[in-house]
Amino acid sequence: MINPNYHAIHITKDKCIGCVHCMSACPTRAIRVGGGKARIIDQLCIDCAECLRVCPHEAVHSHTTSFAALEHFEYKVAIPSTVIYGQFGPTVVPNEILSALRRVGFDEVYDLSSICELNCAATEEYLNDHPSPRPYITSTCPVVVRIIQRRYPSLCGQILPIEPPREIGAKILRTILPKALGIPAGKIGIIHITPCPAKMVSINSPATLAKSYLDGAISIRDIFPQILRALRKSEEDALMRHLFPETLFSGIGMGWSLSGGETRGLRSHRAVAVSGIRDTMRVLDEVEGGLLQDIDLLECTVCPDGCVGGPLGVENRFLAKSRVLELVAAAGEHAVVDQKDVSRLYHRNFLSFDHPVVPAEPRPLDPDPGTAIRKAQRRESIFAGLPLKDCGICGAPDCRTLADDIVRGYAKLEDCPFLGKDKR
Amino acid sequence: MSDASLVFHQDFPVKGGDFAKAGAVACRIKELLKDLGFDSWTVRRAAIVVYEAEMNVVMYATDAQVALSVAPGSVRLVVDDRGPGIPDVDLAMTEGYTTATAEMRELGFGAGMGLPNIKKNADDFHIESEVGRGTRLDITIRTNGHGTS
Repeated sequence: MINPNYHAIHITKDKCIGCVHCMSACPTRAIRVGGGKARIIDQLCIDCAECLRVCPHEAVHSHTTSFAALEHFEYKVAIPSTVIYGQFGPTVVPNEILSALRRVGFDEVYDLSSICELNCAATEEYLNDHPSPRPYITSTCPVVVRIIQRRYPSLCGQILPIEPPREIGAKILRTILPKALGIPAGKIGIIHITPCPAKMVSINSPATLAKSYLDGAISIRDIFPQILRALRKSEEDALMRHLFPETLFSGIGMGWSLSGGETRGLRSHRAVAVSGIRDTMRVLDEVEGGLLQDIDLLECTVCPDGCVGGPLGVENRFLAKSRVLELVAAAGEHAVVDQKDVSRLYHRNFLSFDHPVVPAEPRPLDPDPGTAIRKAQRRESIFAGLPLKDCGICGAPDCRTLADDIVRGYAKLEDCPFLGKDKR
Repeated sequence: MSDASLVFHQDFPVKGGDFAKAGAVACRIKELLKDLGFDSWTVRRAAIVVYEAEMNVVMYATDAQVALSVAPGSVRLVVDDRGPGIPDVDLAMTEGYTTATAEMRELGFGAGMGLPNIKKNADDFHIESEVGRGTRLDITIRTNGHGTS
């Protein structure tokens, strides 16, 4: 059952000391501190993991899949994000990484770079067929989809309705493997490997599919030590590598994990790439205000520099980026995907959303418009009396949010340390 | 129970030449209208109107005040600027007409869509301008109104 309030980001109460780092970092003001502990407001959280990045006490954790949890699958398939290729040194080539994952215990491992190229070609075809609205916005980053549903609901119709590579890859495998292997579909586990906690949200609570084609997402950070061990073993047994089939990597898709990588393969459309949560919000505000209509496609990824800056990666994003760029150059510019295949899948709607993105439930001050106006008036007069220090001691990230919490009935004026009985 | 005389009022200052802050008032008004329970389409029309009006002030005027008045089902925006004024209002209301400098257009501003776009998104639109003094826009957007974008 899909739970609209499923989240991958959680606070471990035992570790939380009630400081305000996460609360100040939260771009949607979804965190409050009360009773000495931070608390996330489900309806406001977009799983961007900014809190996870800044917590000094490792009290913010993300729910990702553990390898042990895959035991019940008879056949385990991994489709790692292309971010993984940038996590190792310059001598480790993608094929070795995929082989190492097989040694870790996956029955088969597939590269996503060619699916990224396929997605890009389908996107080009979609833009050709749909001259308006502009700009379309890519859906690869699950946080971008969620922030649009919550904060920019009028832009839901501008999300380009082609599934991201991880879902397309899993869908292709789910269609082919049961027949090819003679194993029932339910016994085959298809797992994404990712630096991104929000992928768990798009898997467990998909915004555009009846059900995700993926069975889980393992964090790169969790599986990294096992891959390293497997890489060392294969050094001792170098011939093993030659037993695995060579994969045809796509240079167009290989750079997908870098900001601008999704749109780099577009030939006849104008694209803009934005990365980082705050810049993404700024640009989405501009789009909602009617700007950027001369842009065909807007790529937004909330992690800095793109998925390569995901919070669950291991290698620092600058080195990872440099390594990925080397691999892009090595793979070259030629297409590995046949345009006819793309067209066929595209016209069969194999690559499309099951349903459009729908706005999240709005949170007006009150369901009755008149009462909402009265509450907004009260909120302004409360705000005018607050000290505007945005200190966070009240448990809200800033004075404006405290005023909002008060009129919504979640906080009291006395929570402000400057207005309380004993003025400090 | 809605009371017809019930109005939420707030003024927002806008400074001419302040490109860094352009759009800030549109964002604030958007958040407010969402909190007041307006549908996303009405909110977007208001955002477009305020954004365009803000850009006009930033590009041409000394300063301005955006006065927002919200009653159940309707949003009124009065943008009153101190600035050069518009010598020929009818001409300024023509799509594509612009007095933006080459420099402004290079930055992506001043495509001459501002005032016509505001009118397109409004249900009621009035403009008064006096050369050497300034321009005043009076715009109303209603839920289920006809403005399109």
